[in-house]
Amino acid sequence: MLLNPLDSTLINFTRGDNNGAFAFKNVKNVPYLLKVSYVGYLPLQQHLQASPTELNDVGIIKIKPITTELLEVVVKAAKATLSIRGDTIEYDASSFKVPPGSTVEDMLRRLPGIDVDADGNIKAQGKDVKRVYVDGKTFFGDDPKAATKNLGAETISKVQVYNEASEQSKLTGVDDGKEQKAMNLELKEEYKRGAFGKITGAVGTEERWASRGNYNRFNTKEQFSVIAYANNINQTGVNWEDYGEFKGQNTFGDYDNGDFGFGNGGGGYYIGGDGDDVPFNNFDGRGFTENYGGGANYNFDNKKTKFSSSYFYNQTELTLDQSAFRQTFLQDSTFSNTDTSSRVDFRSNHSIAARFEQELDSNNILIVKANTRFSHNDARYNQSQYFTGSNDLPSNSLDIDNDNVLDSWRLSGSGIFRHRFKKKGRSFALSAGYNSNKSDGSENLFSINRFFRAGTVTEQIRQLNTNDNIGQQIKSSMLFTEPLSKKWYWETFYNFARAGNQVNRQVVDPELNNERIDNLSIFYDNTVLYNRLGSSIRYSYEGLNATVGAAAQHLQLDGAYSTDRNTPLLTDPIRRSFLNYTPNVDINYEFPSNLWLSAEYSYEINEPQLNDLQPVPNVNNPAFRIEGNPNLTPQRSHSLGLNLNYWNPASLSSVGIGSNLNLFDNQIIYNQTIEVIDSIGIRTITRPDNVSGGNRFNLYLWSNFPIVKTKLTMNVNGNINVGQSPSFVNGIENETFNKGFNIRAGLNATPNQKLIIGLSGNLRFNDISYSIQEEQNQQIQNHSVDASVKWQFLSKSFFESNFNYAVYRNDRFDFNQDIPTWNASVRRIVGKQNRLEIRLAAFDIFNRRVSITQNGTQNYVVRNIAGTLARYFMLSASYNMRGYENKINKNQWW
Amino acid sequence: MKQHIILIALLLAAGSVRAQETEGVVRYLVTHNWAKKMAAVDYISKQQRERVAYMWGNRSEWKMFTTLYLTPTETKYEDSEEKAEPDDEGYSWRKDVYHIKRNFAANTMYDVVQVFGKTYIVEDTLRAPDWKILNDLKEVAGHICMKASWEDTLKQQKIIAWFAMDIPVSAGPERFFGLPGLILEVDVNDGGMLISADKIDLKKLGAELDLPKKIKGKKINEAEYIELLQKFMDQRREAEEPPFWGIRY
Repeated sequence: MLLNPLDSTLINFTRGDNNGAFAFKNVKNVPYLLKVSYVGYLPLQQHLQASPTELNDVGIIKIKPITTELLEVVVKAAKATLSIRGDTIEYDASSFKVPPGSTVEDMLRRLPGIDVDADGNIKAQGKDVKRVYVDGKTFFGDDPKAATKNLGAETISKVQVYNEASEQSKLTGVDDGKEQKAMNLELKEEYKRGAFGKITGAVGTEERWASRGNYNRFNTKEQFSVIAYANNINQTGVNWEDYGEFKGQNTFGDYDNGDFGFGNGGGGYYIGGDGDDVPFNNFDGRGFTENYGGGANYNFDNKKTKFSSSYFYNQTELTLDQSAFRQTFLQDSTFSNTDTSSRVDFRSNHSIAARFEQELDSNNILIVKANTRFSHNDARYNQSQYFTGSNDLPSNSLDIDNDNVLDSWRLSGSGIFRHRFKKKGRSFALSAGYNSNKSDGSENLFSINRFFRAGTVTEQIRQLNTNDNIGQQIKSSMLFTEPLSKKWYWETFYNFARAGNQVNRQVVDPELNNERIDNLSIFYDNTVLYNRLGSSIRYSYEGLNATVGAAAQHLQLDGAYSTDRNTPLLTDPIRRSFLNYTPNVDINYEFPSNLWLSAEYSYEINEPQLNDLQPVPNVNNPAFRIEGNPNLTPQRSHSLGLNLNYWNPASLSSVGIGSNLNLFDNQIIYNQTIEVIDSIGIRTITRPDNVSGGNRFNLYLWSNFPIVKTKLTMNVNGNINVGQSPSFVNGIENETFNKGFNIRAGLNATPNQKLIIGLSGNLRFNDISYSIQEEQNQQIQNHSVDASVKWQFLSKSFFESNFNYAVYRNDRFDFNQDIPTWNASVRRIVGKQNRLEIRLAAFDIFNRRVSITQNGTQNYVVRNIAGTLARYFMLSASYNMRGYENKINKNQWW
Repeated sequence: MKQHIILIALLLAAGSVRAQETEGVVRYLVTHNWAKKMAAVDYISKQQRERVAYMWGNRSEWKMFTTLYLTPTETKYEDSEEKAEPDDEGYSWRKDVYHIKRNFAANTMYDVVQVFGKTYIVEDTLRAPDWKILNDLKEVAGHICMKASWEDTLKQQKIIAWFAMDIPVSAGPERFFGLPGLILEVDVNDGGMLISADKIDLKKLGAELDLPKKIKGKKINEAEYIELLQKFMDQRREAEEPPFWGIRY
């Protein structure tokens, strides 16, 4: 090879003939670096000067063979790279396998060309090694043995042996020709550690404060993190960024719940389920909260073994004052109730989660997961309800004062084993799971009902409830996949689950020596046995994957009721079983030009909720009595879905359309009986029942496209949903027809690197019509516009602002409220490494923020207005070990 | 005036030079690592790239097989039907439109590629990149290979290639070529994409070198192709989006 002597760039190459003779013809007469290589020989480099003649005879070149030892042991057996640096050869020592716990010395004994004597003295190529460096630095003094005897072999990636000028010549700068051997041990990347972290403190007006911090340490195999937060600014948990840094490589869970078979629609008997252990900030905009939380996470991953575990504690105290207006339509009349309520709700959780995955060998994988959670909830609730009949005259007022305390515990564990057979595509998987939960609660209820009619009556109810629930579930699933040919696959699965629940609800009257109120107390023992066997066939070729299958599903419900544990049964034990055949179709197709289509059909069976099956009523609010129905049968529906997505890389635009249709064969709905009872006033009884009919349809569309490439983008998304649900009000069928329509359009402009402007508008209509009383049909409207700016106005200073104007409307009630909210902040990054950030923020500058929700279903419409955190100003200081980004990002990549 | 010379020498080595079989099929195992690809995108902030590495790291890897059909003068390279991820078994992804055909005797290329979602046929003479030859040796698929490096300034890739000293074809996987031996391993951007030959099956080839019959695409030359890529890269930089969605890495 002829190389450029300056940078080793390849200029020309040729091959020697059988005798080793070679020639380069017609090459420029300039200096070259001639490089000669041959299998089994050390590459040789030779500088060539420009030739005075037209022919440059380099003569005979001798190349040295690589010692068999190096070739066989290092290159072939250990698969290490040989690096030739002049006379020295360096190689990757980590390729040499030594028993775990070996020292570097043990490893050196295995390396060709290096001798270690009994005392640990090292010789390389026959010469004593006087110095041993670790990553180029001396390791605990001058003794070369300090490093080799103490460091573990697994920490070393490379061993380099080279000639070093003597101390004398280093001092004088004159080469005394006395070179000595030195060795450098290069540490593996994964033993190079990293750490990062952030801490923030903030104080504001209106007694607002916030603080948070996290710290992470990691190497390529392990990640450890701690996080803590405390605030009274309605941040009830961690945000996405915190979550990712806390969970690290375990941020994205695998879909390994072990419930094999198509979808989870027909299966899945979870108690608690696989719920996440870290609380997200999921504040719903109502009330004031004070929040504390913190946890630790550890991940280990060496590709064969993955382990992660975390602990998290969080608590939130919510103080919520709200008013609600609800109007209920009967066949020939209406009534309304206006409620004001206040609530103080304290919740705390301890969560522990662990996951272990072991690749036993290339064909066998084992996954074991477990998590547990302890929760405590203590709530105090005051409500004042004011009832008005259709004549607009107030009828009665109801004051409720309830306290409740609930302690609960949950454990869930599961294991999955997957095996791949020698035949490609043939596989088997087996899973087993155990879930358990227990809760103890007590409720102290008090209500006073006052009537505004002649001969005013005042009714007072006191009640003490205890609720003890125990649930246990075992389950197991199997899946077998067999390739029938290169394009056809056959899958068979079996699911089994047995869930047992015991609900013990005891209601006593404190006015009557805590005597049990029999018609409200119940001990309920319920068992659900679930079996499903299914099979499907799949065609898979050139971007088309189509699966057609069916399953037989058997469900057996057993229930026994008594007033209390150990009292006689109230009825004979109830046993019911349901057998259903459920077809399933799933089609995915990837067109050649960035267009994806998916379509699916399934028949879904959903068993009734435990609460809905209880045969005694819940009368925590005497005006709203909730009954159970032990005769409920599972809900059954056809479910159809269609999705189409398109992406155009040339114009950077994308469009997607999707739809879902649910047709109910049998639906669980909540029928109402509304009656006037002398001692209560207007009483609403809801009771779940099975009815046939009903449907839901949803269509959504989104699109993203540039108007001016990379400068101005537009995004549009829309959503239409239509639903029809039958229900009975006082025995008369009411068809509620719900039409929702929502469209959002946004513009995003990035005129330069320092400015991002966003503008969007959102229109939301919700039309509800009631067959029972058409003149009461509702049109609810919630619209908003939003404008945001991110501006880097100085090299390290940023301005961010968000303005939102929301309109809430319901013309039938002349309800019309507009709420503008404006948040703005300035921040400055300080210091050479951008580690400090100072921020001044103003929230809700107009001081107008309240939470409004409006919705309607069945035979009522409800509007809720809740107070929440309004205007405050806050000053915060943050420190980030990695430094803050001194720019505004157009995109957020996780 | 340019002066040209002839340079001759005699290499003295023990053993005789073996005649080489250079016809057959090479299967490459290609390992993609999304987090490592992201780490090389200099216009996305360091903080975001570190975050991707911390959250995705080992999880962002996926593997596939590719095939190189080889004769002493011609090669064809494309994605394999074979699945390298056992979990992909039973699921079919659409193959990339990507057929790289080279004729080293005629010094020509006929590459079917996709840019901006459109199919192009790049037809031109071959011009090898400026490979730097380095002093490292290792074994790949039973062959002792030598290290070479190249920096692709257009696609912003640092490339390390290992070529076999005993397979005298200047070909390689993807669009890499121009070294004194067959390229058996390529590392793009420190593990962003690692292509490594894992099976070399030397045999007589039949019709394997033929291109699929129904290929439609706009014919362009290498310079036009580079211009197209440049446009794509500039656009992605402007939009602060990673460049590896939309073109082959």
